[in-house]
Amino acid sequence: MTTLRFSYHMRLNFELPVREHHFKLRCFPSSDDRQRISYERVEIYPVHFRTEERDSFGNMCIYGTARQIHDHFTVDVEGTAETDINAKLRAEPHKTGLFKYDTALTKAGESIREFHLSLDPMNWMTEYERAVYMMNELYEEFTYTPGVTGIMTTAEEAFSMRHGVCQDYAHIFLALCRLERIPCRYVAGMIPGEGATHAWAEVLDGEAWRPVDPTHNRVCDDTYIKISCGRDAQDCAINQGVFYGGGKQTQEVRVIVKRKR
Amino acid sequence: MALTAEELCSYSDNVNEQLARYGVKFGIYKNGEFHEQLFPFDVIPRVISHDEFAYLERGLKQRVSALNEFLRDIYSRRRIIADGVVAEEFVYSGSGYLVPCDGVSPPGGIYSHISGIDLVQGRDGSWYVLEDNLRIPSGASYPLIARELCRRTIPDAFTGRALEDNSNYAELLRRTMDHVNTGGHPVILTPGRFNAAYFEHSYLAEQTGARLVTCDDLVVENDRLYFTDYSGRKEQVGAVYRRISDEYLDPVNFCSESLIGVPHIFDIYRKGNVAIINAPGNGAADDKGIYYFVPKMIRYYLHEEPILHNAPTYLPYYEQDMSYVLANFDRLVLKDVAEAGGYGVVFGSKLSHEQKEEFIRMMKAEPRRFIAQEVIDFQDIDIYEDGVRVPRKADLRAFVLMSDEAAVWKCGLTRFSRNPDSFIVNSSQGGGFKDTWVMSE
Repeated sequence: MTTLRFSYHMRLNFELPVREHHFKLRCFPSSDDRQRISYERVEIYPVHFRTEERDSFGNMCIYGTARQIHDHFTVDVEGTAETDINAKLRAEPHKTGLFKYDTALTKAGESIREFHLSLDPMNWMTEYERAVYMMNELYEEFTYTPGVTGIMTTAEEAFSMRHGVCQDYAHIFLALCRLERIPCRYVAGMIPGEGATHAWAEVLDGEAWRPVDPTHNRVCDDTYIKISCGRDAQDCAINQGVFYGGGKQTQEVRVIVKRKR
Repeated sequence: MALTAEELCSYSDNVNEQLARYGVKFGIYKNGEFHEQLFPFDVIPRVISHDEFAYLERGLKQRVSALNEFLRDIYSRRRIIADGVVAEEFVYSGSGYLVPCDGVSPPGGIYSHISGIDLVQGRDGSWYVLEDNLRIPSGASYPLIARELCRRTIPDAFTGRALEDNSNYAELLRRTMDHVNTGGHPVILTPGRFNAAYFEHSYLAEQTGARLVTCDDLVVENDRLYFTDYSGRKEQVGAVYRRISDEYLDPVNFCSESLIGVPHIFDIYRKGNVAIINAPGNGAADDKGIYYFVPKMIRYYLHEEPILHNAPTYLPYYEQDMSYVLANFDRLVLKDVAEAGGYGVVFGSKLSHEQKEEFIRMMKAEPRRFIAQEVIDFQDIDIYEDGVRVPRKADLRAFVLMSDEAAVWKCGLTRFSRNPDSFIVNSSQGGGFKDTWVMSE
């Protein structure tokens, strides 16, 4: 058992005033087989009404409306996570099929297909072993480079450049697994240090989901805090919103995760 | 004395003029521009005998019940996939499958409140289902108002004929809305007057007594949906017959560019705090690929033999079907499952050699995208054109409304092609319509 303290801070700055701001936030880790979450603070400002729900992947969401005129919008979440590396993350068998098929962001195009074909035949391996093998190969082929891709960059676009960030690693990895029809899902979460959120993947191994981190080419340990999962980054969108006004907007995100002693 | 057909036809211009005056129009988008067109009405009704319609009615209720079970299943336990009856890929890769609907149980367990099932009658008299429309099937208002105007203008045409009254559509629709209402007003949500079916939205609102609203009239607050009236007073809404497709329904949850949706309406629907008619995610069952599986669904869920036939259909996705399609290409009609409104339909015989090669290449690359069907030579129906009666292809859209039980409206929209060489009857491609008389004895 490992205990981690986490805090998530987001601030949206609007160039021009905003009103009738409808939001849906997905930045709240929830307890599962591998992690137990307790919250110390969940603050959203400004807000006229807010309410909670779980989406169809079981992710916790808070949605609501800020009617009053505002030029910034902030979210602050703090708490602790107790993680258990040995616990099995049980899968619901009737839901795993959903994670076998392409989405717009994870559809393999020519460059990913070509790379997939270049890999040694993997017939003798289990699905999970194949996934890990492909993760190793991807890691050798791809370079971590911030600033060249964006949140709407597809796996194929990123892979044809051979450069990108954690979201791209995860998407390409999912595209490869899905070519093999291995059920796999996208995970948004936090890891120790100070910075932005992280992204990794879970691969179905028999009856359990096994988390792996393609960006670091490793199996996830007990320092990973999962926020949400879905078929791709879009299912895990941390902030969905519509509003009137606003002009240009900028977003600041600060994530801090520390081991608790 | 009942009128002769010739006498009846002499009223054609008169009735069409009245329909125009009532604004019975159909809007289409062509090259990005909105054009409003009159929807040409042919005065010669299609007549369906009492017994024949009773047969259709049984088959339609059966079909829609199975489709509803299917929707309930694929958004919850997915037994039909686990049991290998429907190929998983067709469910999850279909454009209509809406993942956020997973685990939602809509009020009353009803997904398909209003279904429009398109049928044709073959030359041998047997009926075939060509398409199930479970998203936002439109068209009921056209025969509804046409009947009313004809009764007023040509009362003699109805004298001595025992036909089913069709004016109960509004009642059926209102019952369907009330049955799932979670508490509050019923409303009809329209995108506005630039929608192809705006006439229908306003007419059905007037006929059912539901309020006609646009997104600006509705607001979600504290997990409830409210209608805001002219004075700013809020009244709760319990049932929304939305005439907006899923992707535009809620800009927070779906397409954020949507200017016609209601923010958070989907969130409170998930919580069971409002009924949405038809249920979001219904498109998963009316996909052209899923059509192939409907007879299997009927056997699987209802343990009955299908009463209505599908047109013989092949899925190139299955190897065996692919070989059949390649061997019989010139006899078949091929459809792109992602297209609607009569688009993406190709007759094998009409392709040039190069086009055929190109099509086969596409089909082999993406077999999941296409279905192939035997061409059904359907019966012609007479229409009145420039003073003479001429035969044209026609189909029938039958409407099934679900409340405590499935009910079939004893009428329907008969659409015909105005082009003598065309099988495509869609109004978006310039077809016309007829009233459908169901005889009561």
